[in-house]
Amino acid sequence: MHDKAIISWKVAGVALGLLLTLATALVKPLGVSTQFVVTDAVITHRIAPGFAESNDYLARYGEKEGWGVGYGWMLVLGMLVGGGVTARLFGDKQPQADKGSMPPMWKNQFGDSRFKRNLAAFGGGFLLLFGARLAGGCTSGHMISGISQLAVSSFIFGVLTFGTAILMAKFLYRNRNT
Amino acid sequence: MELLITGFIIGCAFGAILYLGGASSYRRILGTLLLKDMTIIKLMATAIGVGTLGVYLLDAGGLANLSIKPAYIWGVALGGIIFGLGWAVSGYCPGTCVVGSAEGKVDAMFTLAGGLAGAFIFSIAFPYLESALISNANFGNITITGLIGIDPIYFAIVFSLALIGLTFFVLEDSYE
Repeated sequence: MHDKAIISWKVAGVALGLLLTLATALVKPLGVSTQFVVTDAVITHRIAPGFAESNDYLARYGEKEGWGVGYGWMLVLGMLVGGGVTARLFGDKQPQADKGSMPPMWKNQFGDSRFKRNLAAFGGGFLLLFGARLAGGCTSGHMISGISQLAVSSFIFGVLTFGTAILMAKFLYRNRNT
Repeated sequence: MELLITGFIIGCAFGAILYLGGASSYRRILGTLLLKDMTIIKLMATAIGVGTLGVYLLDAGGLANLSIKPAYIWGVALGGIIFGLGWAVSGYCPGTCVVGSAEGKVDAMFTLAGGLAGAFIFSIAFPYLESALISNANFGNITITGLIGIDPIYFAIVFSLALIGLTFFVLEDSYE
């Protein structure tokens, strides 16, 4: 793990802190997980408008933008474009071990079945968003933006998320020494 | 329209920072959670350090659009635990699976799809969870400084310096 990311944590961390400050000045702090609900709401409304409108939670986020997308969704679309473009431009500088759909670390521990890796990725994603929506935010909205605003809820979220994730990671890699 | 373009540009910068900083890498996330690779924790703590100072300097000038999330203890706590399990299993979070998908990582795309499914099932479960976990023990939009009863800018300065001191001078980049 001695090979470095393309930019150092110092540059990335300061840049992210400044971006959060800019976003808070212009519109509001950064957040991602709400847009998963917005996406679900828009898609569900296209397929079954009656069902979408009768569900309190989908309606709460869907009706805000008239069952379309707004600022927050464009931000996530921007992440897709910004991440994709920089990956094309700087991909040759990315350490080999950070590339690809089958992390070498996972392969060493759980074998080379792509089905198994993708199933875990899907199940993990399910838990991430179920948990984030229950708590009201994720790494960006709760941990980075929320703790920066000194919100009590975000400190609780941060401690329990890191605590649980550390225990789970130690369990998954329990027989690994390096 | 202007607001949508602003969102898009901020998002582009966010996605680029996460990619360039290595946050969309399974190895780095699991390295973080196994407390061996400190890159991501230092990135996050630095961002929070700079962000806290930035946000509360804006607030002192009356320029911050704050959004304090309500502290409903049971829902936030249980949600955090469920989120932590998903984080360790997938190696992504909701933002980094978007960036990983943009890189062409198939596992990140599965995490994204799982996330859409998880958010959908939560929408269906919401009416059954609301009274016990969200409306119950809800202390509203409280902050640490509100609880202690001090001006947030003073706390923010100390907290920011402590976080930045920790990342720049105390924590190593990795613990093998």
